[in-house]
Amino acid sequence: MKKIFRLPFSRDRVRRDVDTELSFHLEGRIEELVAKGMSRADAELEAGRRFGDRAHVEAEVEQIDVTTHQRRALRERFDGVGQDIVFALRQLRKSPAFTLIAVLTLALGIGANSAIFSVVYTVLLKPLPYRNGDRVVRFAESMGDGWNNGITFGDYHTWKTRQTSFEVLGAAWSQSPMTLTGVGDPTPVATRLASADYWKAMYIPPARGRYFTDAEDREGGSPVAVVSYALWKNRLGGDPGIIGHSLTLNGQERVVVGVASPEYILGPPAEQVWIPLAAPVSRNDDHGDHEIAVYGLLREGVTVAQAAREIGDLQRGIAAQYKDAWVSQRVQVQSLSESIVGPQRTLILTLLGAVSLVLLIVCANVANLLIARAAVRRGEIAIRAALGASRARIVSQLLVESLLLGLAGGLLGVGVAIAGVRFLVTSPVPVPRLQDVTVNAPVLVFAFSLSVGCALVFGLLPALRAAKLDLQQTLRDGGRETSGAVRERSRAVLVVGELCLTQVLLIGAGLLIRSAILLSSVQPGFATNNLLVANILLPSARYPAAPEREAGFQRVEEAIAAIPGVQSVGRTMIAPIHGGGWDCNVFREGKDKNDPSAVDANVRTADPSYFATLGTPIVRGRAFTSADRADGPLVAIVSQALARRLFGTADPVGQRIANCIGSNTTPAWHEIVGVSGDMHASGLDQDAPPELYYPTSQFVNQTNSFVVRGAVPVTTLLPSIRRATAGVDPLVALSAVSTMDDAIGRTLALPRFTMWLLALLGATGLILALVGVYGVISYVVTQRTREVGIRIALGAANTEIQWMLVRQGLILGIIGTVIGTAVSLAATRYLGGLMFGVTSHDPLTFGIVAVLLVLVAICASWVPARRATRIDPLVALRAS
Amino acid sequence: MSDDLDLIRGTLDLFILKTLTWGPMHGLAILRWIEQVTESRLQIEEGALYPALHRMEQKGWLDGEWGVTDANRRAKYYKLTAAGRKHFTARLSLWERYTQAASMVFSAKEAIA
Repeated sequence: MKKIFRLPFSRDRVRRDVDTELSFHLEGRIEELVAKGMSRADAELEAGRRFGDRAHVEAEVEQIDVTTHQRRALRERFDGVGQDIVFALRQLRKSPAFTLIAVLTLALGIGANSAIFSVVYTVLLKPLPYRNGDRVVRFAESMGDGWNNGITFGDYHTWKTRQTSFEVLGAAWSQSPMTLTGVGDPTPVATRLASADYWKAMYIPPARGRYFTDAEDREGGSPVAVVSYALWKNRLGGDPGIIGHSLTLNGQERVVVGVASPEYILGPPAEQVWIPLAAPVSRNDDHGDHEIAVYGLLREGVTVAQAAREIGDLQRGIAAQYKDAWVSQRVQVQSLSESIVGPQRTLILTLLGAVSLVLLIVCANVANLLIARAAVRRGEIAIRAALGASRARIVSQLLVESLLLGLAGGLLGVGVAIAGVRFLVTSPVPVPRLQDVTVNAPVLVFAFSLSVGCALVFGLLPALRAAKLDLQQTLRDGGRETSGAVRERSRAVLVVGELCLTQVLLIGAGLLIRSAILLSSVQPGFATNNLLVANILLPSARYPAAPEREAGFQRVEEAIAAIPGVQSVGRTMIAPIHGGGWDCNVFREGKDKNDPSAVDANVRTADPSYFATLGTPIVRGRAFTSADRADGPLVAIVSQALARRLFGTADPVGQRIANCIGSNTTPAWHEIVGVSGDMHASGLDQDAPPELYYPTSQFVNQTNSFVVRGAVPVTTLLPSIRRATAGVDPLVALSAVSTMDDAIGRTLALPRFTMWLLALLGATGLILALVGVYGVISYVVTQRTREVGIRIALGAANTEIQWMLVRQGLILGIIGTVIGTAVSLAATRYLGGLMFGVTSHDPLTFGIVAVLLVLVAICASWVPARRATRIDPLVALRAS
Repeated sequence: MSDDLDLIRGTLDLFILKTLTWGPMHGLAILRWIEQVTESRLQIEEGALYPALHRMEQKGWLDGEWGVTDANRRAKYYKLTAAGRKHFTARLSLWERYTQAASMVFSAKEAIA
């Protein structure tokens, strides 16, 4: 639309104009009539008659004009913005390098951050799916050192009947898997006992049917079951009519009353079955066996601390009543989310910290670019101002430019975020809930707004300054900056800041990489390669007591050992890395469990070939043999760590020890016949725990863990092993089958994943810092073209020129590194628990990162420096 | 009978647009021109002319500009814009088809069986 000079809009003016127009009309008519011979008065009347209701017409026309003005003003504003956008696009196209760098920086920052935060959110932060998840608490008891989530039936019963802080207290108890028969092949299914109140505390509406009723959760209640969503889908065909039908579990018929919500996962496996806890009345006084997990739903308005005080009082009462039993002295009440997230807090904070650092670097980089750009454009802006562009107009144009950059970067960032999440989800690292990760919309919006906001702020500051330019001065300078020092310094500060932040990121990543390397070089104390671990459960219907069970396990073991390709096979109650066995205090003969010399040790079982199969040496004495029979003398093997703690340097072989297993009143004394090498049985990042072994024949469990060493790749033996097992008893099946290497890999998954995320963030930071340094030095080169030209004309060597410029980058790099090192020293202390085998001020990591950053600074300044040496002095001097 | 009003208003708009194809004029001149060519057969309520003019100005069919008459008096002159010319052409052909059809109806001599 063509713009013409127009007086500003006002209602008065409109009124006057309309009046003038209509008066002109009437006056014209009157004169016409008078000319035809009418008297003035008649003419006025006649003209008025022909015209109609003047007041009405005037009002109508006025209203039309007002609307016209408003619409026109609106349209012009849009046209102005449209012009600014067209202009900005043209400007951005004119400097593609700047545009590309700015947009990519923003995209990388927004995208990488959103992707990583999305992962952190889903894996670690996502709120619990329970209806009252914020009021659910979990209990732990302590017997002295460490907290144990296993609660005794007696404590649970006492709290439940006397407490007032909770709406409900519920309990659950993980069991050995039950064998599901009648649906395809017999399959072991993970089993938990759960009380009716447990479901009330941890309530998510069931997918089908219902959870347990109080009547079912009672001794002698009807046999019912709730199946997990995955079990229902995978094993039961997702049959909607399953409710009311029976499943055969360990030979017993149980009516399915409900399918739990698919969100109901308290740790793997996804395929589970719940049966009523039906807390036995006979155990209401059992304050010694720490077995069940207890969850509570706080009453509205009751705090965790208040509830903890009440339960603490109740527990002190119990302890006073039962002086002899193993009653816990202290109880911990912790919100469920805290008990899940708590152990990962360092990890979460580290990742969030790293993400924020990258975001800061992004902002610094964008600010840097925009400041540089504003400087380059001083001349252009001065000319436009001189030609009559208003300040508002210039500022609005620069802002539109920043906004376009921010939007383009933001949009591309959304793409990067989506691609990043896809990449992370498909990463081979097995992290729980990782598959559920989707781009977290609020975070994306936050990162997006931050980046656009950043572009706007740093676009605005130079824009305002530019608009205040002293025109004459600037034009006389030929658009070059005479007071560039301040600007250069502020850019240098930004770059130093970026380098410093990058250093913190890289050192954090470096420490974790070092930890991961050290961790993978830990000797576990047994040979992990080509070792298969599988559990076997003997159903109690056919194997009711110890003799049948031990005989059954032995038959399976012999069948497996007979398979060609099996080098060796052994048994224990739970394999290392796969769990901690029983832990209770072990004490020497003549002492008791409360003696200060008693040691809290893992108890496992071992058959005669167990140590040989694992490749763990017996450093003293002997391994178990088939002569260590159930009715023979009780024997034991201790690990070196346990031997040291119980007997110091004395020879433990021949000494007698006992622990909680056997009888509650008179200790069952076992004679130590051997000492085994230590194993990092609780994970490679943990010290080798003290371990105590009883022969499988003398401490019989319903489940045994078989360890199979192959002479050929052991996974190829799996079908034969299954056949051999089924050959012994078709109702017996393998469960939890995995290789030892895989099991160890799973325990290392989270640290490795963290390491990768930090390394990715560090690399992002490094690239951004590189761009930052490059930008500053390029700018210096542009600003000093004339000086460089003169130097070249005067015969300066290329190397001199290059050194002059590279030196600037080097100085920035060194300052950044020095400050960064200081900041890192303070920051890495918080990595604490994530590190393994390195200190938070590991000199090697600090050294490598410092050298790397300085090198990056040199490289980034060398490229523009080299360009400077190709300046033609004639052109440079003539240009000014 | 809003249809009737629309018809009449639309007609007035067409008259104005047609008149202005001869060149810029003020409101009174437009009326005089219409009176002249119709030999004063149409009685237009003169006041209705101005809302029509201003509305068409709002739509961008006319450009209003203040000028001075031969008698040295300030008057608002209206000029047909390109958009106005285009609109007029389109409406005129519509109008012609309509009047043709209407006259066929009114002049029908006998009922068609």
